[in-house]
Amino acid sequence: MRFLRKLKSWNMKCIYLLIPSLAGTFIFFVIPFVRVIYYSFIDNQFRRNFVGLDNYVQTFQNEFFQLALQNSLLLIVICIPVLILLAIIISLVLSYGIKTLRKTRAAFILPMLIPTASVAEIWRLVFTGETVLPVYTLFIWKNIGICVILLTAALTAIEPEIFEAAKMDGAKGIKLHKRISVPLILPTIIFTILLSIVNSFRVFKESYLFYGTNYPPSHSYTLQFYMNNNFLKLDYQALATSSVYTMILVIILVLVCFGLQRRYSR
Amino acid sequence: MKKITLSALFLILATAFILPVIATIATSFYGERNFTLQNYTDLLFDAFAFYPAFWNSLLYAGVIVIVQLFVVIPCAFGFANASFKGKGILFIFYIILMMMPLQVTILPNFIGLRDLGLIDTRLAVILPAIFSPFGVVVINQYMQGMNNSIIEAARLETNSIIKIIFHTVIPQVKICIFAVAVFIFAESWNMLEQPMLFLRSTNLQNLSVFISESGSYAGNILFPASVFFFIPVLILYSFFNNYLEKGLTFGELAK
Repeated sequence: MRFLRKLKSWNMKCIYLLIPSLAGTFIFFVIPFVRVIYYSFIDNQFRRNFVGLDNYVQTFQNEFFQLALQNSLLLIVICIPVLILLAIIISLVLSYGIKTLRKTRAAFILPMLIPTASVAEIWRLVFTGETVLPVYTLFIWKNIGICVILLTAALTAIEPEIFEAAKMDGAKGIKLHKRISVPLILPTIIFTILLSIVNSFRVFKESYLFYGTNYPPSHSYTLQFYMNNNFLKLDYQALATSSVYTMILVIILVLVCFGLQRRYSR
Repeated sequence: MKKITLSALFLILATAFILPVIATIATSFYGERNFTLQNYTDLLFDAFAFYPAFWNSLLYAGVIVIVQLFVVIPCAFGFANASFKGKGILFIFYIILMMMPLQVTILPNFIGLRDLGLIDTRLAVILPAIFSPFGVVVINQYMQGMNNSIIEAARLETNSIIKIIFHTVIPQVKICIFAVAVFIFAESWNMLEQPMLFLRSTNLQNLSVFISESGSYAGNILFPASVFFFIPVLILYSFFNNYLEKGLTFGELAK
């Protein structure tokens, strides 16, 4: 009887609510991912010999993987600082700027919602020649929206009294924001950096739509192209190994981000 | 004076960001040298694959949003109210899964779908998207600011947790739900890799794939197709734009 009552308790009901989501997550993410890890340790689908870390070493030495990794890292190092700095400035203007400027909000938010495929052709008209610029600008254009939204939300949450006090002390204008607003939203800034790095792994879509091929010029061959091409070749070992590499990288980034967020939290 | 220069610079920046959208619309009416509707008639009367592609995009995005909300809202509420061993770790797992780029999750998704025999069916693009953890994390975060005394009061009136969610929880978090719905719709509407890799039949493909392959059709149908492609998103934005900042407040997950 006590067991039955426990099953009907409020707490149990709340736990039941998790079941649909958990079931789907296990069927489409967790269980298959365990198999992906298994694939990364065998020689191929048919023989299934355990080969230890061979696939990992091979992937790391693969010249296309190295090229892809280099390009992906370069994108992060160059684009993320530009993106985040722009996003901070835009959020400050949208939150505290004069009325006319605040009305430009849609220009920065809309790109994140607009399908990349529908603007790729315009990019192709504007950017000719062999540079990384089209993919970099598409990345920034596409990702500024979510950063601005998160940062503006954080700015709105700052209590007005804090500004009053700072103004009494004589701070104003850009200095006020540099000393007060930006440090206060630092945890959110850290999160937008994390989010943008993760989204930079997804730049494949922009790149693919711009070049219209799985084999773009070598400077734009990023990790996702490497993985996508192995997907099309059905090379599960190479694919599984780079999935695991990327996953480990993302887990480290998330944990570092959370550590930093805790440290700089109000 | 300095202020005016800075304001002008900012306006130029804003214009640069919206320019691709305006340029796409403008070019869609542009012929050899003049204004024309030719591109539109080419698209609507000659490229018949456009219609199923548009319908598929709408169907995928619509079904994904609606079903996902039914999975995600109860789950987020469950996380906020249940207490059990390992809840914290399970939630961190959801956050990490949310941050996983598509290229990590797409192979597991593919394997799961293949084992269920769903490759090359509509469910292949719909099912994995429904269980995306994004909504769970964001709505749960928003629920931290909920007024729990209303829920306590409702618990005295009814035993049904579903009723409680509908009558007391959803009204309190509806701004966040709208924001999440807009976001999920845009993501699903925009998806490219999933239909490319999970679907083979042309009649199941969505607009992203249609446009990326539209070079094979006669005429300059790319720009009008692009315009039709972003119209639904523009409509959604015009209705819900105020909810986005108020609803998507998940910037401080570690707190």
